[in-house]
Amino acid sequence: MKHFKLLTICLVVLITANLQAQTDYEKGMQKAFDLWGTNPIEASQMFERIAHAEPDNWLPPYYAAETLILDGFTKMDNKEVLEAQLNQAQNFLNDATAISKNNPEIMVLQALLYTVYVASDGATYGMTLSGKIMSLYEQAEALAPNNPRVVLNKADWEMGGARYFGQDTTPFCKDVERALQLFATFKPESKFAPSWGKERAEEILKDCK
Amino acid sequence: MRLSFFILFFFIVTSSISQTIITGKVIDTKNQPIEGANVYLDGTYDGTITDADGQFSFSTNETGVVSLKISFLSYETFRLTQEVSSLNNLEVKLRDDVNALDTVVISAGTFSAGDNSKVSALKPLDVVTTASALGDYVGALQTLPGTTTVAEDGRLFVRGGDAEETQIFIDGIRVFTPYVPSTNNIPTRGRYSPFLFDGITFSTGGYSAEYGQALSSVLLLNTIEEPEQEKTDIGIMSVGASLGHTEKWKNSSLSLNGAYINLAPYVALFPDRNDWKQPFQGGSGEAVFRKKFNNGMLKFYSAFESSGFELIQEDINYVDGVYYKSNNKNLYVNGSYQGLLSTNWTVFGGLSYTNNNSKMKVMDNDVKDKEHSYHLKMKLKHRFNNRFKLNFGAEYLATNFNEDYNSPFINNVSYGFNNNIASAYSEADVFFSKNLALKAGLRLEYSELFKELTLSPRVSLAYKTSTKSQVSVAYGNFYQNPNNNILKFEQDLNAQETRHYILNYQLNKNGKIFRAEAFYKDYQNLIKYDTEYADFTSNYNNLGSGYATGIDLFWRDNKSIKNLDYWISYSFLDSERDYENYPVQAVPSFVNTHNLSVVTKYWIETWKSQLGLSYGFASGRTYTNPNETGFLNQKTKSYNNLSFNWAYLISQQKILYFSVNNVLGLKNINGYQYADLPDSNGIYASNALRPAADQFFFVGFFWTISEKGTDNQLDNL
Repeated sequence: MKHFKLLTICLVVLITANLQAQTDYEKGMQKAFDLWGTNPIEASQMFERIAHAEPDNWLPPYYAAETLILDGFTKMDNKEVLEAQLNQAQNFLNDATAISKNNPEIMVLQALLYTVYVASDGATYGMTLSGKIMSLYEQAEALAPNNPRVVLNKADWEMGGARYFGQDTTPFCKDVERALQLFATFKPESKFAPSWGKERAEEILKDCK
Repeated sequence: MRLSFFILFFFIVTSSISQTIITGKVIDTKNQPIEGANVYLDGTYDGTITDADGQFSFSTNETGVVSLKISFLSYETFRLTQEVSSLNNLEVKLRDDVNALDTVVISAGTFSAGDNSKVSALKPLDVVTTASALGDYVGALQTLPGTTTVAEDGRLFVRGGDAEETQIFIDGIRVFTPYVPSTNNIPTRGRYSPFLFDGITFSTGGYSAEYGQALSSVLLLNTIEEPEQEKTDIGIMSVGASLGHTEKWKNSSLSLNGAYINLAPYVALFPDRNDWKQPFQGGSGEAVFRKKFNNGMLKFYSAFESSGFELIQEDINYVDGVYYKSNNKNLYVNGSYQGLLSTNWTVFGGLSYTNNNSKMKVMDNDVKDKEHSYHLKMKLKHRFNNRFKLNFGAEYLATNFNEDYNSPFINNVSYGFNNNIASAYSEADVFFSKNLALKAGLRLEYSELFKELTLSPRVSLAYKTSTKSQVSVAYGNFYQNPNNNILKFEQDLNAQETRHYILNYQLNKNGKIFRAEAFYKDYQNLIKYDTEYADFTSNYNNLGSGYATGIDLFWRDNKSIKNLDYWISYSFLDSERDYENYPVQAVPSFVNTHNLSVVTKYWIETWKSQLGLSYGFASGRTYTNPNETGFLNQKTKSYNNLSFNWAYLISQQKILYFSVNNVLGLKNINGYQYADLPDSNGIYASNALRPAADQFFFVGFFWTISEKGTDNQLDNL
């Protein structure tokens, strides 16, 4: 009985140690998400640290890249800082791709990274990257036709192109509407799997009406 | 006993979660604190970010030997593997990452176009949207400083060098016959369609030891690595038609492109000064195949072209003019592989083969030229670290040239040569800091024809003077064997030689680029002969020499005025040489003292149009007037050309394109031809050499069919 008790203690200790590891990941990720709102660069650094601790998980490098990419949209005027930041984001995306191949979520993020380049300097990057962006969305769509982020970002990009050439953007509104419906039913694969984009869809739909 | 065991166990457990505090400070090479650096134990969740004073402090449960990592944008990542308890009060100095964007770039002599180059003066699109270029990549490069305006020739003349002194490379492999054959006073064009290339580097001097057999300049073209999408391109033009298709598979892709050009309808509508029997007609096909492997890329490029024309040109010595007929067939094949051997070793191997067949008839003389050339190249690159890289390689260039000559007076003679050259080179790239970089190389060449060994050192050094500006200097020694027109008559010669000295200043500020470059070139061992034209009866030697010195200025701004992009190039050139048939040292007829080029592009949103204007000015060039004493004793009036183009996007996939060369119809004179014999008054009569037509119009409609509907051919124009 005493032996049993000791064994129980040992087991409990081992299990808590194990649980502790899981909590570290969850705690770390949660902390990084919290940081994102106030300091995206620090959030990215937090994700970077988690990425080194979890070498088989594509989510930390994915978010390390996403924080930098979205932040890039606010740094259009400072070319040097922007390029350094996007280069770093590209490295994280490469790490994520190495862990998880043919992942439509990573493809969407790669397309967004190129979109920052195009938005910052259309004359330099417009011609060379537009095709790549479209091609990434096509690939992602083939893999996950009902992923709301694939549907939304593809439509968003196509609307931008149509606007640039002075064409009608309304045909893409129904794609955004469809994305919004997909967001309603979308279930992330795990706790921290990508689930963003709904707000952006709602924002675009406002302009459609 | 049991209790003591439990206590012991408890101690082990708690000690394993006892904490160690890691502290320290992060500074840069100037001892300034770095704020916001990421400090962590690799493989754990333990870490933090440095504060405004560069200080960090965090706790960890790890024990034993751990790996501390400190990383921050634009610094090299620092790593320290040590006992965890010793990681306190550290002072860590982060070194600048020399791969960062604001690192000094070796820029003396070089203009790069492409996304990847850190400082690009030209963008890939510029090659095809420059008004005066008429879709020819060579034409676009002629708006850059360092080039001279030789309007009747069409090739690149760089810094007092003749056109033969510039070599062209595709994917690092030599192109032996880059231009479509032409005749007197009709400019030639580059053979290859610009839209198969996405990177262009044009070096006007002081280039890397990797490139040999070029006295003045190298032009490096890189084919597109990965096309973006499957598409079909259709072009209907006032001078012909083109059709292209790109097919993509998982790891490979194939692009095919065909074009047919026929100037007959144009010449019928707008007759020019030539009496065309058969206006220029040509068909060409190109194919690029690419295959990606896990650690490398295979590229295969091939181009075939067949062209011809027949005409009678005015000539002061022949009342009926001079008859000229030309037919050319050209095949170029180029294959290369580039890949990683390990993380620090890169290998490149490539091979090209050229087969060029030309048939010319000049009055009653028949000339047939056959050239077979190949180029084999291997190179290895070893990266010791970010700051030191070593390149070395070996190559073999072989040319077999044969000419058959037949005339009413000479019956079928045949002659030719083999010009084979083996070379090896080695070059080191060293970054002393983010602000100081050195490239030093050595090239060894052995000419089998001349049994001659040459050694060319090349050095360039760049120093960053402020965050936006830098100064570079370069020195190089360059050798080139005489060209086919000499070697076919005489092979007992030596390589020609030049030395370049370059000083470059560059300022790069928010979409504005300013470059100034001063150079001096010293020519030696140039070929001389003692007859008017090179032929069998001439005596040849290597006693020619010359110099070229000058200043090149370049300014580009695409930020100051919305939707307007423009650049201005100016070159001052002072050059004299004594070579070929020159009796004395003189300013060659391909040298302009002043060259100015202004290129503008303006995008009008509401018209969905890009309008382009380009203006070129060149001061007069020398010619010999036999009515006066002296050689190359006169200068033509200066050259002026204003060109205009308009690209209208009908929709995302349909473009209407219109261009006019020399809008104002200015009468340019390229030189004068004088009669061989004086008339009864003892005067040599003359004839101004004018372009065949003062103006040229071009209209084209380009349609891209792709599933995705975003691509268009704006970059083909």
